[in-house]
Parts: sequence; C-alpha cells; structure tokens
Amino acid sequence: MINNFQLNLDSIKNISLEEKRIREKKLMLFNDVGFPSKKFEEWKFTDLNKIITDNFKELTVATNIKNNENINLINDFEHNFLIIKNGILEKINLKYEDEEKVKVDNYEYDLIDNDKSSNPLINLNNALFQSGYSLKVHQNYKLNRPLVIYNLFSGNLDNKIINNKNSIKLENNSQVELVELNFDNSSYKFIQNSYTNISIGKESSLINYSIQGNKSNGFFYKFVKSILSEKSNYEDYIFSSGLKFNKIEEEIDINGDEAKCNIQSAIFLELDEHNEIKTLVNHFKPNCNSYQKIKNVLSDKCKGAYQGKIFVRDIAQKTDAYQLSKALLLKDTSEFNTKPELEIYADDVKCSHGSTSGSVNEDSIYYLMTRGLNRKSAIALLTKAFLFEVINSISNIDIKKFIEKNLDRQIYGH
Amino acid sequence: MLKIKNLKTSVNDKTILDGLDLSIKPGEVHAIMGPNGSGKSTLANVLSGKNGYESSGSIIFNGENLNDISIEERAQKGIFLAFQYPLEIPGVNTNNFLKTSLNTVRKARGQKEIDTLTFLKLIKEKSLELGIDEKFLSRQLNVGFSGGEKKKNEILQMKLLEPKLAVLDETDSGLDIDALRIVAEGVNTSRSNENAFLIITHYQRLLDYIKPDFIHVLSKGKIVKTGGSELGEQLEKSGYSNLEA
Repeated sequence: MINNFQLNLDSIKNISLEEKRIREKKLMLFNDVGFPSKKFEEWKFTDLNKIITDNFKELTVATNIKNNENINLINDFEHNFLIIKNGILEKINLKYEDEEKVKVDNYEYDLIDNDKSSNPLINLNNALFQSGYSLKVHQNYKLNRPLVIYNLFSGNLDNKIINNKNSIKLENNSQVELVELNFDNSSYKFIQNSYTNISIGKESSLINYSIQGNKSNGFFYKFVKSILSEKSNYEDYIFSSGLKFNKIEEEIDINGDEAKCNIQSAIFLELDEHNEIKTLVNHFKPNCNSYQKIKNVLSDKCKGAYQGKIFVRDIAQKTDAYQLSKALLLKDTSEFNTKPELEIYADDVKCSHGSTSGSVNEDSIYYLMTRGLNRKSAIALLTKAFLFEVINSISNIDIKKFIEKNLDRQIYGH
Repeated sequence: MLKIKNLKTSVNDKTILDGLDLSIKPGEVHAIMGPNGSGKSTLANVLSGKNGYESSGSIIFNGENLNDISIEERAQKGIFLAFQYPLEIPGVNTNNFLKTSLNTVRKARGQKEIDTLTFLKLIKEKSLELGIDEKFLSRQLNVGFSGGEKKKNEILQMKLLEPKLAVLDETDSGLDIDALRIVAEGVNTSRSNENAFLIITHYQRLLDYIKPDFIHVLSKGKIVKTGGSELGEQLEKSGYSNLEA
C-alpha cells in the first residue's frame, strides 16, 4: 500500500553508523505497520491509512525546499521569537531575555533506541526526523516576554513529508509562555509529523498556545510527551482551526506531587476539515490536579474527535481530574466522536468526565433574529459565544486579545 | 400602521388564530386580553415572523405585506417583540449583543453605525431610566437574571431599537409592583405620534399604568370584543367567561 511512498534514509546524510542502524530499525518498525488504519484503537476515529492513501499518490522526504519568503511578525504584543521554515530553525531572537539563561539550538540527535513506542508515527519520526529546535530555560529564570514560535510552511511542498523533533526543558523554578503560530503559504498537500518532548522542572510553569494563523492543505500530526515535576504547572491551549487534517496527541506524566495540568481547546471546523485531539494524563503522584476542556464547533462535512484518558496510579491519592468535551454541530453532515476513559487504581480521588454534542438552539437563533440579526450572524454570534469560554480563561490579556482576533477571523472571515 | 385581516394560523393542524382582524394606527396603544390558550402569544410570534406556523389572511405593516418578510427584516423595519420568556444565551455578552443588534438595525435603516463610546453613553442613559444596574450589561445575556431583570432587559432593547410597533408579550408576568411601574414608565416615555404598542396581558394591572386607547378581548382565536380602557376594569370584575361567543 505504501509502494509509491519513498520513505527511506537516502536524504539523511552525515550520520554515524550507530545512528543509521537505529534509524533503520525504526523505519522497519514503521514499515511493518504503515500508516495506522482505524483498526488501531488509537485511530478509530481517524483512519489515517485511508486518509493518506486517498490524498497522496506519492510521498517523499522533504529536503532543501527553497524558501526565501519572509514572515510578517505579529505586533500585537512584545515577544521573543523563533522562525522555523518548513521545519528548519532559521532565526532566534531572544532580545527581551538574558541569553545566558535561555538557550535555543537545533535539535541534537540523541540515541533514542530505548524509545519502545508502538506508535507507527513516532517510529517514522524517529527514523526520518531531520530538524527541529531545542529550548532550555535555566533554573530560577522566568522569561520576561512570551516566546513566539513562527512555524512557516512555503515553497514546493507537494507530496512531501517533514519530520521534526523538538525539545523543551524547563529547569527548576523557571517559567515560559510559548505561542506556536502556524502559517502555511504553500497551498500544497504535505505532511508534518512532529514530536515534542517537554520536561517541566520543580515549581516551574509552561504555558503553551497553539494557534493556526490561516487555512492549510497540510496534514499535521503532532505528538507531545510532557513530564511534570513536583509543584509544576503545565497549561496547553489549542486553537488549531483551519487545518485540512490535524491530530494532536498529548501524553502527560505527572511525576511529582502537587503538580497541575490544564488542557483546553476551542476549535472551529468547516468544509471537509478533520481535527482530533487525543490525551492521556497519567497521575503517578498524589495531590495533583488535571483539567481538560475541549470545545468544537463543526460545520459542513467536517469531522472532529476527542479521546481523553485519565490514568490514576494506586499511590496517586487526592487526585482531582476532570475532563469535558462539548461539541456544537451546525450541520447534519458534520460529525463528532468522543471517547472518554478513566482508569483509576487509587480510592481517594475525584475524577469526572462529561461529554455533550448537539445542534444550535433554534429558540436562541429566533431570539437574536427578532433583534435584527440574520440567521448567519446569529449562528456566528452563538458559535463565538460557545468557543469564547475557553479563550476567556486565558490570563495573559495580550495573548487573549490576539487569540480572540484570530477566532473572529475564522468565524466571520475577517 | 398595522392591518391584520382574517388571520388564520395553525400549528400541526390545530387552529389557533381563527379569522383575526386588527388595525393599529400610529400613536395608538392597543391591549389584547384573553384567557389562557386564546392565541395571544401566537399572535405575537406570528407578527415577529417565527417559523412553524401555517398562516393565511394578510398582515400589512406600513403598506407592506409581511408574509414573505423574514424575522430579521421585520425587526429592521421596526417590529419589536418583547418576549414573555426572554432567552438565556450563555457566552454572549449583553453589551456586545445590544451593540450588534442596534448597529445591525441602524445599518438596515440607512443610519450610521455607532461606535463603542457613543453606545456606552447611550446604554448608560437608557439603563438608568429603567433602574438597570450597569453590571448586568457586562454579564452574559439574561444568564442568571431574575424574572424582573429579564423583562427590564427586554424594555431596554425596545428603547434602544426605537421600533415603530412594539409587541409586549405578557411583559407584566413575574414582575413585582416596583418593576411593573418602571417597565410601564419605560413604555410611556417611549410613546409618540409615530409609534404604536400592542400589549398582550392577562391582567388589568399593567393597564393601570399604561393607558391603552383600545382593549381587545381575544377568545378562541378571534377578537370578540373591543372597547376603551374601561373594558379592562369591567373584565377584571366579570371575568372572560361571560364574554365568550
């Protein structure tokens, strides 16, 4: 089935024999399975195999994609930034920070042979990744301004696959706010398969916002593995609306007492867009808190999915874990699937989940129309209201305004 | 301004309005009273353009047949319905909603949209008249509002949009005496030679504060009696049953 796909190591030059051996092994593991079909429980709502074979006749590893395009930096708030073009780190600007305390580099290959993942896309990533960034914040340092990561895609990416690996490491008592901003100017069909490792030290805080800046024909898969230490805080806000295909998987190990994890998402899908968020929150230590709220508005023929699992180990007493999924379907042709899962081995915990999906309340539309709004504006207002709840919980006012502006553009088209 | 002729309305083959005639001129206040199930709220809904009704007959508003005119266009042309049960709409900020509504209607009427500052000044003035705490305006639309607050919010919207014809559907229900007086005052100060009101109510109470020019009694989908404001007091004493045809 993957015969026309030239997924090989030919384009990966200048590597040691050892690295080559590991990469070949990973590639073999991927090839045993190929792109996962819906027979895999993890992919039951997203038949990636079918999606890829339907959309790609051929597929090659992206190399040397010419790209001289400049990116327009946002001027909504002061920020440090990284510019990443087609997956390659091109520019680092940390002008608001003590450069001794924050380090950004190209991702260095580490011998990841001990990664026993059965996830085919992680294996593929480990076999073929070529670029990415690593960010390290030193102990006791809190960044003065947010760090915006501009992810730009442009040039001839037709039928290419880009594999990235990133790493974010916060040492103890440090803090950073990351804004991942994606722009696709290529208009081609391509795949990005990325893997990010996050490690948050004791009493440190990472707040991450993922924002899609425009529509894209790209196919995006992102796996994020986070490890939380004692009293650390991880917040992840996902606003990835506008992608033809997007799946985000988050695996979070809460490895220290009194750590907090908060994942929220507000997604607006239309046309034939496809979006899935899958999470696994592992409560390994007591007195920790996890909170997830996923909101989707779906129009036209799009598909949305959320799979959220909370795992609580026997010693993780006093865990407080919550997950909620709400979907608003604007058309009969749109589809939303959800699968909540709780696996709990401790007896003194508070865990709950909820899930609702339904259409817009006709009475509300009627009420708004009697006040002069047409049906389309009434639905847009209700859509915004539905999703704004997530944005409203962002405490950084500048970022909140920026994200609201982005959401308005998605809903109202301006 | 409004001419309703032989209006027949049914829902799922059940007849509700059965040949209703009503004529309202600018400057007039009409009240419609009647027992439960007589079709009062249906009349209000049909005037607003609500879907789900089978209607025949004609409704002419300022010379225009309303049959093919959508809900929002009716609102833009100056028909306002104050709801009996105003909807709670989570996530929609009251102020934002009011501004969107006002500007949509102004735009449709060929007036200039107003900016946020002018709007806030206007809304402050209007809400003061109605004794509405400004804090309510920064909350979600009607969410957690008391019955009285919801009704006052309806009147506030009416005052903002300055309709030609305001239909008040049981605006008095659920109001205490003070709120009733404020709401009535809100209507009275909006009266002019150019606009008209259609007040739907069960009780004479509201009409003690808003003096109608005409009172109509609606029964089984028809107006069975029309009189001046004294008719209300008469009804209060004798009840509806003696009047039914």
